[in-house]
Amino acid sequence: MSALLTVSALRVSFRLGTGRTVDAVRGVSFAVPENATLALVGESGSGKTVSAMSILRLLPENAVVDAASRIDYSGENLLTAAPGRLRALRGREISAVFQEPMTSLNPVLSVGAQVAEVLRLHQHIPPRQALERSAELLAEVGFALPKARLKAYPHELSGGEQQRVMIAMAVANEPKLLIADEPTTALDVTVQRQVLELISRLRERRRMSVLFISHDLGLVGELADEVVVMRDGEVRESGPVGRVFNAPRDPYTRALLACRPPLDARPRRLPVIDDFLRGGGVPEGGELRRPEGDGGIVEARDLQKQFRLRTGWFAATVIPAVRAISFRLSRGRTVGLVGESGSGKTTVAMLLMRLLDASGGEVRFAGVDLLRLSPRDVLPFRKRIQVVFQNPYASLNPRFSIGRTLTEPMRIHRLGTDDAGRTERARQLLQRVGMPENSLRRYPHEFSGGQRQRIAIARALAVEPEVLICDEVVSALDVSVQATVLNLLLDLQEERGLAYLFISHDLAVVKYMSDEVLVMREGEVVERGAPEAIYRDPQHEYTRKLLAAIPR
Amino acid sequence: MHALAQPESESAWLSPWRRLRRDRIGMISLGVVLAYFAMILAATLDLVSRDWSREVGVPYASPSFLGRQPNPEASPAEGVPRPGGAPPDLSAVDPLAPKYAEWARRTAELKSGEAERAASLPWGGDRWGRDVLDKAIKGSQVSIAVGVAAALCATLIGTLLGAMAGFHGGRADDLLEWVYNVFTSIPGILLVFALAAVLRSGWLGKVFAEGIWMVVIILAVTGWTGMYRLVRAEYLKHRAREYVRAAEAIGASAASRMFAHILPNVSHVILIQLSLLVVAFIKVEVILSFLGLGVPVDMVSWGTMLAEAQTELVIGKWWQLTAATAFMAVFLTAFSMLTDSLRDALDPRLR
Amino acid sequence: MVPTLAGVILLIFFLFRAFGGDPAEILAGQVASAEQIEAIRRELGLDRPWTAQLWIFVRGILAFDFGRSWITREAVSDIFLTRLPATLTITIPIVLLEVFLALPIAMLVAYFRGSLLDRLATALSVGAMSVSFLVYIIVGQYLLAFEWGLFPVQGWGDSAWKNLLTYAPLPVLLAALVSLAPQIRLYRSFFLDETKADYVRTARAKGLSEPAIMAKHVLRNAMIPVLTNVALLLPGVFAGSFLLEIFFSIPGLGREVYLAVNRSDYPVIQAFTVYLAVLTMLVNLAADVLYRLVDPRIQFR
Repeated sequence: MSALLTVSALRVSFRLGTGRTVDAVRGVSFAVPENATLALVGESGSGKTVSAMSILRLLPENAVVDAASRIDYSGENLLTAAPGRLRALRGREISAVFQEPMTSLNPVLSVGAQVAEVLRLHQHIPPRQALERSAELLAEVGFALPKARLKAYPHELSGGEQQRVMIAMAVANEPKLLIADEPTTALDVTVQRQVLELISRLRERRRMSVLFISHDLGLVGELADEVVVMRDGEVRESGPVGRVFNAPRDPYTRALLACRPPLDARPRRLPVIDDFLRGGGVPEGGELRRPEGDGGIVEARDLQKQFRLRTGWFAATVIPAVRAISFRLSRGRTVGLVGESGSGKTTVAMLLMRLLDASGGEVRFAGVDLLRLSPRDVLPFRKRIQVVFQNPYASLNPRFSIGRTLTEPMRIHRLGTDDAGRTERARQLLQRVGMPENSLRRYPHEFSGGQRQRIAIARALAVEPEVLICDEVVSALDVSVQATVLNLLLDLQEERGLAYLFISHDLAVVKYMSDEVLVMREGEVVERGAPEAIYRDPQHEYTRKLLAAIPR
Repeated sequence: MHALAQPESESAWLSPWRRLRRDRIGMISLGVVLAYFAMILAATLDLVSRDWSREVGVPYASPSFLGRQPNPEASPAEGVPRPGGAPPDLSAVDPLAPKYAEWARRTAELKSGEAERAASLPWGGDRWGRDVLDKAIKGSQVSIAVGVAAALCATLIGTLLGAMAGFHGGRADDLLEWVYNVFTSIPGILLVFALAAVLRSGWLGKVFAEGIWMVVIILAVTGWTGMYRLVRAEYLKHRAREYVRAAEAIGASAASRMFAHILPNVSHVILIQLSLLVVAFIKVEVILSFLGLGVPVDMVSWGTMLAEAQTELVIGKWWQLTAATAFMAVFLTAFSMLTDSLRDALDPRLR
Repeated sequence: MVPTLAGVILLIFFLFRAFGGDPAEILAGQVASAEQIEAIRRELGLDRPWTAQLWIFVRGILAFDFGRSWITREAVSDIFLTRLPATLTITIPIVLLEVFLALPIAMLVAYFRGSLLDRLATALSVGAMSVSFLVYIIVGQYLLAFEWGLFPVQGWGDSAWKNLLTYAPLPVLLAALVSLAPQIRLYRSFFLDETKADYVRTARAKGLSEPAIMAKHVLRNAMIPVLTNVALLLPGVFAGSFLLEIFFSIPGLGREVYLAVNRSDYPVIQAFTVYLAVLTMLVNLAADVLYRLVDPRIQFR
């Protein structure tokens, strides 16, 4: 296969004002073959997006591209092409689809107008014809009533539909290369699959090349013909997808492939990047052993929540978020809650923590119904049941030092003898979660996502709870970092006999962590059972859809 | 695109300060503002311009930097021809004639309290011969003090109400929104006029007859709405953030969440808005004092100087106009540029 | 709008009632006997309970009959209606000029962001805004009218046209020029905020040129904050036009209120405040409707 576009020795850095520069891409080379899909894979900060955006020179104003870099396409170096030439290429021969479809579409223009715009820009056809062609394109990307949709505005469409519109705009002028920058990351799991299949279909039908960027190596395995693995601005490995997946040469690639929780086994420890980079391999440890028995602490029965939205002076619509959920949390065991966005799983966590008031049902903790307690009486229970949230960048107060964040809960619940005693306990907690001692005096912005999540876990443990709710705790983290956090959680559970409620949209992770899995959809539990059973023999159609959406 | 974990240094105020240090324009502006504050301090302690109200010069004395200028208004009697010759001797019929010599002798012994009036002053004199430079310095003290005091009061009101509305939501928010709407439906200047009318003719007028507090109250009561809006929006945004949820989850009280947790994260925004308010309030005070609705008659502010300047301009005396304008423009420009530099230095996006 | 109006009425009523001077004493003047003051008190209904007084107040507003000015004995509603045209003759041109002059200049300045021109313009406008509006009027009136005779120094006529063409231009020009700098800065920030949006990146990826992006995509989105801002413009415009009326002796609402303040003529101040508040609310409502038309994300309730 000859190369459609070749990137050679690409170097990009960013000026951060005040004379500092940061290198984002340090000498990257790869070639996009004709009529095939090349995947650029890497974690956040690897430089994959910057590399791809350099092709169309869609970089921010403070980006500096090294003069020795070249991007060769059709006989010319795109990095030195005239702006007029670049504009002629964009949207016509090379086009792009981005990660966040909601903000990538102009909110005040109709969908039809935006698709027609790219047609008229490069093909100079009259407006009416452009609209007709737009309707055809919408049909091609899967809209059922394309003509009606022409007049719709972006906010009236779902995430998946918005992304289809972006794709329609991108392929409108029959480009030779489609750059897709994490097009499915912001979408629900079931919708992801549809969009990926759409891209595949279009690629075949129109015989174009796709440059697919993703952080998910597994996802890419199904889609790509060739793979380039990047880390810290450099290429670690590249080659045909089959070879890279079956016989990875670089330790980082091997780590990426191995770090995801396997679906067919339940090892005691998940491998982490460091295991591989130090020259080792998958760690030993055998199977995970789970305690039996019924050390039931929390019993939730018929938990319900409806939201009332005021639509006018006196009217209101009622939105049921959680409809009659029941489960039981036991010492040393994990109940997993899996579902997509809007399924109500996070609401369940909020209800349990009394951060939201339930509309019905009961939650018994050591005999007391948590939901009926007055706010003042809830306080002592906050020592016994804690929560770790999803977004490590938002769950720590940016203005509090780590020490203050950790000692505050101790102070509120009068644990520890005095300030010195509390600081000592904070130090021990940090040590336990694998963070350096001098973190006490530092601030959240100095730490990475995985580190912040570990600090958040330490905070939750500061009051020595019996129950821990993990609400999408690893969803915002890179794959390799996920494994570290999951290992930590398992260790802590074994040590302290904690009961976990583990919430996630990622079925593979939930299956690995849980002893019992509840599948949620639109506020209800559609299926529940042991993880193995769910995996091998899903009963409900929705569960089957979720399983099918998992890559590989 | 690129989530960099920068190994920067400590607190939330240290790195902005470093960034500000590198901003040359910001530092110059800071210097100018500090110089003004030093001048104001000196004026408050009566180290300078204490006797600004004394008529030390001739009316409309000309500015020294212009050299001697003809000043027809200074001695209106000039031009009228005076009779020459010595006064006639009437001692024969004048009953007081023996006393003249004695009176002349005693007059020569007395010292007159009235000093010689200067023909020209550093920046000229006003209609009564008061030193324009002293007035400008004292006026700076008054105008800036009013602006800062009013801004602080408005900030206090707006922040408290905004925090309550944004954090608690629900009925508290509805009530405060209603209050906000009421205040913003009335055009600002009308509210100011109404307040001025009421405060002056009512019983509060006697309480606040002296000093700047009446103006400060008027400004604060009409000007809190902008800060309220801003703080409310910030609290709404932060209330939903996970670190606040986490604080609630560990059992922090509502007050703790509002002021110990959220407020430090909002303080940068409040500081910038405060600076903007200072500029806005100074400008309004100047207008109010110009109209006679601002500071009391016995005080001087840039506004009162401009009021006098209007009539002076017609007869060609421009020094009070330029003095007030120059002192005001330099301060406000420096302060505005400082605010801009502060905003850049505090920009959280750089974190 | 109704609860806000109710709030305004309550606020004004209680402000004057609780903090204002005794109306009877003010009306009676300096040399009045106790009986005279009592008589006036009864006439004004001040001996009734405050709820009854509030009702009289509300009734006056709704019936557009506010009694008579304490000083001139003219019907307040008459005063309002006769002064309104003059104020409108100045205010409307100012608003139109402010928005339609500032918008294209702001777009241009935003387009050339970061360049020397942009920074120069910013520096100049900061300096220009640091000089009081009063100075501009004083100097403007002096130079343009007094010295060079391009406009009349003061005055107002009877015919609307003559006013618009002869007497209004100088005040309107001064107000528009002074507000130009801050408006441009404000609109510039709206435009710049939009240029950072994701959909601009998409537009570039489609191959649109920068001017086309600015005119076709950014402008329409920037209109949303512009329209929201129009409602916030009003208080400033009123303040400006009131000052101008005082300077140029234009018989408008502002000058009337100013005189009333100096003479403690409560009915005039109260009535004008409430009516202008109503006017502001109506304009806000209109801006709201326009806003919903421009932004398809907002649904009509």
